[in-house]
Amino acid sequence: MTSATSPNPAPVFDIRALTYVTHVDDNLCCPICQSPLVEPFTTSCRHTFCSECITNALKASKTCPVDRTPLDTKNINMAPVVLANLVNDLTVLCPNHRDGLGCTATLPRGNVEGHLKEDCLYVTVACPGCEEKIMRKDLQDDVCVHVEEECSYCSGMHRKLDMKEHETVCPGLTTPCKFCGNECPRPQIPNHEAICDEAIVSCDAASVGCPWHGLRKESTDHSTSCPLMHIRPLLEENNSRLANLEHENKLLRRRLELSLVARAQTDIAESMDDQTIRVLTEQEHIRSDLERLYVSMQEMDIKQNMLSMHMSDNMRTKEEVAMIGAAVNNLRTQLHGLQLLMFRRQGLDQNGSGGARPTGASSQAGDNSVLGHARRMSDMPSGDRVKL
Amino acid sequence: MSSSKRITKEYGELENDPIPGVTIKPIDQDMYNWDIEMSGPAGTPYANGTFKVRLTLPTEYPFKPPTIAFKTKIYHPNVSNDDKGNMCLGMLRTDDWKPSCKLRTVLTLAMKLLNEPDTNDAVETSIVEQMKSNHDAYVQRAKEWTKTYAV
Ligand SMILES: [Zn+2]
Ligand SMILES: [Zn+2]
Ligand SMILES: [Zn+2]
Ligand SMILES: [Zn+2]
Ligand SMILES: [Zn+2]
Ligand SMILES: [Zn+2]
Ligand SMILES: [Zn+2]
Repeated sequence: MTSATSPNPAPVFDIRALTYVTHVDDNLCCPICQSPLVEPFTTSCRHTFCSECITNALKASKTCPVDRTPLDTKNINMAPVVLANLVNDLTVLCPNHRDGLGCTATLPRGNVEGHLKEDCLYVTVACPGCEEKIMRKDLQDDVCVHVEEECSYCSGMHRKLDMKEHETVCPGLTTPCKFCGNECPRPQIPNHEAICDEAIVSCDAASVGCPWHGLRKESTDHSTSCPLMHIRPLLEENNSRLANLEHENKLLRRRLELSLVARAQTDIAESMDDQTIRVLTEQEHIRSDLERLYVSMQEMDIKQNMLSMHMSDNMRTKEEVAMIGAAVNNLRTQLHGLQLLMFRRQGLDQNGSGGARPTGASSQAGDNSVLGHARRMSDMPSGDRVKL
Repeated sequence: MSSSKRITKEYGELENDPIPGVTIKPIDQDMYNWDIEMSGPAGTPYANGTFKVRLTLPTEYPFKPPTIAFKTKIYHPNVSNDDKGNMCLGMLRTDDWKPSCKLRTVLTLAMKLLNEPDTNDAVETSIVEQMKSNHDAYVQRAKEWTKTYAV
């Protein structure tokens, strides 16, 4: 079978280990190995087995394995060709399928041997250059794939066999960043994406509920103004305390359940005795512990609600301050105009360097008018919000 | 043909489609020794009992028959009342065994014997006699054993 001249010896495979693509009818299975028949032979009592199976069976007992009819090798003949064809046409997976990782071929069982010999890419063959065993898929023309050659992108030395894999990590081959489009050596893509300005990131306070998403270059701006960023440590502490309490609560509940079971068992075994009383007392303790925990959990909830209320208040106040700032600026320009008007009307000469002092003096009177103005402004619709 | 392939196949089939009342423990190393639990059928003196059974397959399987032994003591005419606890099933006798017979058939028959002892093929003839002369006493005794050994 194996000869020095033949580079591909006849493939060895276990025909009974093949995986059949569809369910095989019981009638096509051998009663001995219970697999689809291999080289079927039929007995004089008209039962059919694999040739190998019936041979082994007759060595053990000279009777039919199905009906115990006395049998000898001369009572056994090849089954009709139609049956042999039927089982050889059953569709199987290539023996090198390896749960989907290897060869994906599905083929009639009768073609498996030829497939392995000629086509299957997952069969080991001799490298034409050095006779070392390699997978047929790694063959490259008629050259040895074990010789190292220079990578045309990075000048590194790699075996021909490993070149394809090398190219997926070659530092000389670049690929565009999916965020900024800049060309980047492949192995550095993960590092680059971790700092790329154009990458989409979420706020550091996302864990405590900030919904912000945006470009990394804008995230610093966001975090300085993000109200959640400021109270994040507080919220996180609250969350962990809450988790601790929940955990404790769970433990206590389990203890309670255990003591309830213990009590039930004790009730059956004995009537009210010391142990029962002890269990009952313990249970009472646990119950009050639980109530205490429940109350403090509710308190935590209220606190958290208050915190988030404060937070939205904060944000609203911020808006108000900005509005008031704008109003003040507005008033300031109006005041300035009024002052000019006033000075002009009083006929005071404001030429030259002496202008600073009188302006300072009149600014007090001006302040009053600002207040008056502000009060009038508070009568406007937006004033309702200022009062909050 | 190697017997282990057929055994693996039969085990897989019993795992996917178990026989009611028969639980097969997972095989880790030794596929020639199966640990099985059989539940005593309702309406029999064996009801509510769980019987540990050892199914042993010879290396020549399927050309030689398997054996069934009760590890849990049972008061039953077809199970030997000794430290072996062998269950005699006609089909398991070397001369009567057919290699085409599946373990599913063997275990189904064993379960049927728990339901309905076969007095014509008994190892414990004294129990058969008791069943005929004083059936209530047999039931009483079998129940006692079930309660003592199998619950
Ligand atoms: Zn036959
Ligand atoms: Zn066979
Ligand atoms: Zn293949
Ligand atoms: Zn080579
Ligand atoms: Zn390279
Ligand atoms: Zn980038
Ligand atoms: Zn944020």
